[in-house]
Amino acid sequence: MPANHLEASVRLKPGGVVLDLRGEINRFAQEALNAAYAEAEAKDPEAILLNFEGVDYIDSTGIFLITRLLAKARASKRRLLAYGLSDHYVEIFNITRLSDFVSLFPDEGSALSEASVS
Amino acid sequence: MTAPRSGAWRTLAELSIPSEPVNERRATEEVARAVSGLGLPQRTLERLKTAVAEATMNAMEHGNHYRAEVPVVIDVSASDEELSIKITDEGSGPPVFHSETPDLEAKLEGAQSPRGWGLFLIKNMVDEMRVSGNPGHHTIELVINLKREDDAG
Repeated sequence: MPANHLEASVRLKPGGVVLDLRGEINRFAQEALNAAYAEAEAKDPEAILLNFEGVDYIDSTGIFLITRLLAKARASKRRLLAYGLSDHYVEIFNITRLSDFVSLFPDEGSALSEASVS
Repeated sequence: MTAPRSGAWRTLAELSIPSEPVNERRATEEVARAVSGLGLPQRTLERLKTAVAEATMNAMEHGNHYRAEVPVVIDVSASDEELSIKITDEGSGPPVFHSETPDLEAKLEGAQSPRGWGLFLIKNMVDEMRVSGNPGHHTIELVINLKREDDAG
């Protein structure tokens, strides 16, 4: 089956910057993910929100890439939030303990509300 | 060693997947098709697909070194009690995995490599993982207990 390479774009919203992710987060996602994250950081937000609504696959390399984003966010004292994960990937965020460090929300509205009040 | 089996087993599929990047997705879809008649709960199916993807990727990368002409062979079989997925490559020696249990805090602090999630994911996605091999191949067997009562829906 053909690869569904990651596309990532950035939106500035009240409360934080949203990274819209579409496709697969795997070994081929590194460049797009890092470029989008750098673009988000350049806006110097307090919170960065990862929108996984368009993501249909995350593998172990994808978990590694998200771990690196989390390390960058912590180093610059930014909050990392996420929304739109399927139940399966919520489970994976739980067992890897990513959800201990990345607050998970069901949708953009609830994630932005949390980002705005903190 | 692969555990001895009891009961009647039936083969659901014998797959041969070229060792090329992203073919782990093809493996997951073909395995999903092969087990479609078992009526697995969606959650179990999603977990199985992640385990198959990770084990196939490991076999293609570390066992077959992404030589497309060397396939990863996947045998799918089931009894009344278990589903078994055997994923075999042509590597020698023990299968290559990061053996260290991932510790996210240690990874974030730089005390542990940020990689090394594959084996951890496999172990957490299936009921049992069995590893066997000889000088010419490695096999990782993924086992799903079909009699679990706590896995509805």
